[in-house]
Amino acid sequence: MDIFKYLEGMAVQHGPSGAEGEVSQWLKPQFEALCDEVTIDALYNVVAVKKATRKTSDGSPAPRVMIAAHQDEIALMVSDILPDGTLRMGQVGGVDPRILPAATVTVHAKPDGKEPQKLLGVIGSTPPHLLSAADRQSNYTREALFVDLGLPVGEVKALVSIGDSITLQGPATKLLNDRVASKTMDDRACIGCLLDAAERLQKMSHICDIYFVATSQEEVGSKGAMTAAYAINPDLAVALDVGHAIIPQSRPDTCLPLDAPALTYGPFIQHKLLDNMKNVAKNHAIKINTEFAASSTYTDADNIIIARTGIPTVLISLPLKYMHTTVETLDTKVLSECGRLLAHFIVDLEEGWDKELWN
Amino acid sequence: MFDLIKQMADLYGATGREAGVADAIEALMKDKADTITRDALGNLICEKKGTDPNGKRIMLSAHMDHIGFVVVAVEKEGFLRVMPVGGINLAVSRTRHIYFSNGVQGVISQEPVPAGETPAMKHMFVDIGAESKEEALSMIELGDVAVYSNDCFRLGKNRVSAPAMDDRVACALLISVMQALPQTKNTVIAVFSTQEEVGCRGAKTAAYSVQPDIGIALDVTGNGDTPETKQPAVKLGDGAAVKIMDRGSISNPELVTELLAAGKRAGVKTQREVLPYGGTDASTIQLSRGGVVAGTISIPCRYVHSACEVIDLRDVEAAKGLLLNYLQA
Amino acid sequence: MELKQLCELQGISGREELVRAAIYDHCKNALGDENVMIDSMGNVIAHKAGRDKSAPHVMLSAHMDEVGLMVISATDDGHLRVRAVGGIDSRVLVSKRVKVGYAIPAKDDKPEVKPLNGVIGAMAIHLQTAEDRKTVLPISQLFVDIGAKDKDEALSKAPAGTPITFDTALTPFGQDKILARALDDRVGCYNMLRLLDADVKGDTDFVFTCQEEVGCRGAIGATYRLMPDIGIALEGTTANDTGDMPDAQKVCTVGSGVAISFMDNASIANPELFASMMKLAKDEGITHQVKMSVSGGNEGGVIQRTGSGVKTCVLSVPCRYIHSPSTVCSANDIEAQYQLTKAFLEK
Repeated sequence: MDIFKYLEGMAVQHGPSGAEGEVSQWLKPQFEALCDEVTIDALYNVVAVKKATRKTSDGSPAPRVMIAAHQDEIALMVSDILPDGTLRMGQVGGVDPRILPAATVTVHAKPDGKEPQKLLGVIGSTPPHLLSAADRQSNYTREALFVDLGLPVGEVKALVSIGDSITLQGPATKLLNDRVASKTMDDRACIGCLLDAAERLQKMSHICDIYFVATSQEEVGSKGAMTAAYAINPDLAVALDVGHAIIPQSRPDTCLPLDAPALTYGPFIQHKLLDNMKNVAKNHAIKINTEFAASSTYTDADNIIIARTGIPTVLISLPLKYMHTTVETLDTKVLSECGRLLAHFIVDLEEGWDKELWN
Repeated sequence: MFDLIKQMADLYGATGREAGVADAIEALMKDKADTITRDALGNLICEKKGTDPNGKRIMLSAHMDHIGFVVVAVEKEGFLRVMPVGGINLAVSRTRHIYFSNGVQGVISQEPVPAGETPAMKHMFVDIGAESKEEALSMIELGDVAVYSNDCFRLGKNRVSAPAMDDRVACALLISVMQALPQTKNTVIAVFSTQEEVGCRGAKTAAYSVQPDIGIALDVTGNGDTPETKQPAVKLGDGAAVKIMDRGSISNPELVTELLAAGKRAGVKTQREVLPYGGTDASTIQLSRGGVVAGTISIPCRYVHSACEVIDLRDVEAAKGLLLNYLQA
Repeated sequence: MELKQLCELQGISGREELVRAAIYDHCKNALGDENVMIDSMGNVIAHKAGRDKSAPHVMLSAHMDEVGLMVISATDDGHLRVRAVGGIDSRVLVSKRVKVGYAIPAKDDKPEVKPLNGVIGAMAIHLQTAEDRKTVLPISQLFVDIGAKDKDEALSKAPAGTPITFDTALTPFGQDKILARALDDRVGCYNMLRLLDADVKGDTDFVFTCQEEVGCRGAIGATYRLMPDIGIALEGTTANDTGDMPDAQKVCTVGSGVAISFMDNASIANPELFASMMKLAKDEGITHQVKMSVSGGNEGGVIQRTGSGVKTCVLSVPCRYIHSPSTVCSANDIEAQYQLTKAFLEK
């Protein structure tokens, strides 16, 4: 799989939480090329089914495996149009206001009765000349910042409405050592892992029916994963999300090395299934790290686990520097290793995988 | 519309204690629905069957419950100690008149707060006129819930004030919509829900039973048209507010477009609402089972969660026009 | 099974396997293999048919898990870095003994596994600055010392993910009281096991849940599977009844009977069910109290709001110093919880 090409593509897709229509339509054909059936549901989850390619030896039904990563992105929203034509911003998901001053954004205008338009905007900041020493002591808040479209107020009002979404700009950028920086690596890079695994599985055989899901509304509470897991009703699940990689400011025990996928342990994670995943990594010489979650993992895993009667689930983290910025940075070799781990986990899943889960 | 709103607003119905409101609504909904049921959480579910067997199931939800004060202890002098049920604002509760379901009246006051301490619910007490613990316990029991006393009145030409406007104005709206709605191709289910104020609990189980394709919550929203209030950009009298998002849910974008279009067809005023706080029944309806297309129609309301919540009758009429048009489209 | 035996089994949230195995075996002996299952969350569900098929289907729940710690890594000099699993105030950890890993008896060809002893130390008072004395040590600055000489040895003995529990043996205490760890909620498990032989009126499911302390996770799936008419959670709840606490701020009192809740932060009890529990306790002469204060949360909340909804009520044994190594409850209150639940199931 051409990972950089995928990342370049995903970074220009529009998909704030709750309005994933555009990005879901972009993902659909990519899964169609590798799976048997792809649908988009009421919450814009993209559900791609790849049927078992090998029968279970004892004739038992194929285990259903759900593999989830989220397609939505944190974003801003027009919450008011001021008399000078600048836009007040609401937020969709947790936007760090420190990344906003002087950022360029896309305002997704949906004028009544006309074609939607993408407008370039700038988030203004006060010039340093006008700042007092006291001003410089505190960070900007979102409430004190406005989007400037450079248009007269009448034209702004003709194009833009309250509720239109605003996305940050951050194209995929190559760095040294196969590293790439981009917006929305969180979590579309992990959807790249799903596609990478699906591509590898074209040449491998498996007893399970695989449900790849690009979920919606993760950034506002993992809502898409909740309803998708209910609808799919899998026997087990793997969630993928990005994890904080070590940066110079990191505190001990809070971040992951950038160089390998990480597996989470903790009360929510089914520990025997985790052991199983660790063995797969060992058997196929895939380097992994581990991380701890005291309860919530703050990923789709949390809601998948408690769908219907409960779903044994493991979580793979793809280490990422500078999360929730427009320069989210990862190592593309690790992205590919995540795909390899997923593919082997699926292939190595045999009948009776659940026999020892609760002993 | 005013009479119906007043009838609803004057009913006792604290969060978790909604049966009285449900009784009154059930009487008004008789013959307006094919089936009327109540579930384990006390939701009143009124279903009007559609003509098209392949039609959609559209759930409309307005909550019956009202924030209140639950009695957790009785002092030996006969004063009650209470805790909040739902989002009680302490500042607007001091010296308020409240009442219990059995008619017992009370007033809320506050003990002296030591310097440096922030006034909290533990400093508040309720005087019901009892002179001893025994007398108090003969009037009320631990676990009883009081609400702001009913006091619904007109304010100027178009506006109405009442403590329980959130969300009885929407109960009135939903009743009047169901009374005016002929049979349509889609099935319409009016849910008068419980326990919204403590996390949209009733709507969650109701949506599970009802299994809607589309869910629309009817609720009040904040305003940005009083002194020094900037958000949301919603004004009383500017029409029904179609919610884009709040803290609890992001409305389905296509549903928002359809609701705004229905408002236009009906010739009523609408406004677009982005609320930086709050949530409605839509938040739990949306996540029911395999997911539901969900949104909210809001009635702009000033001073929400106080004893004088103010709405504009024209906004209620606009919401009614919008909904009737949408449901018959 | 004795309460002592249940309390001695270790089982932090997500790692309830020892408690689960013991309860599973006990239930199978009591009700037969075909009526007991382990579900896809690791809950044990034991079913008993009622004598009256028209009576409501009741689900009882009590959670198997306890709060504890988990190893996440080690310092270069061999101290274990740990994090809390479930709500633990880090201030109760300083200068305490813990068991690192689980005590697993020998089985088939597997030898016995013994947990390691650990201690949680802190800087000596002599060395503390005035600022140190004011500062609460967060769990990230508290380390479990198992005596390892370096990081490699520490992590080979106790790898990341190793569960840790408080080291407190169950002891009779004061008048009719019990001191132990994990009383929350092994008391509920204990009473549910005793209730397996009740002459139940309606169909009854006894659900021993996991992961309550990290958000009532186990009860969600079990309720979804069973969809009962009525759900009763048997809990250990915070008492907050000692010292100079004003009466109005006490939650319930140890020794004053089973606590019946009208409301907590997770659920509002069904008003009729609450009233009928109060009446039943009164009619049967069972010591009981109303749980005052709206605080805490438990499985009542998720049971109530699963599927189309369930009528719920919570019956609790008041526990002092809950979620600490030294929890205290009254044997009489445990008995009262049993008697009231039994009367409810049988009437």
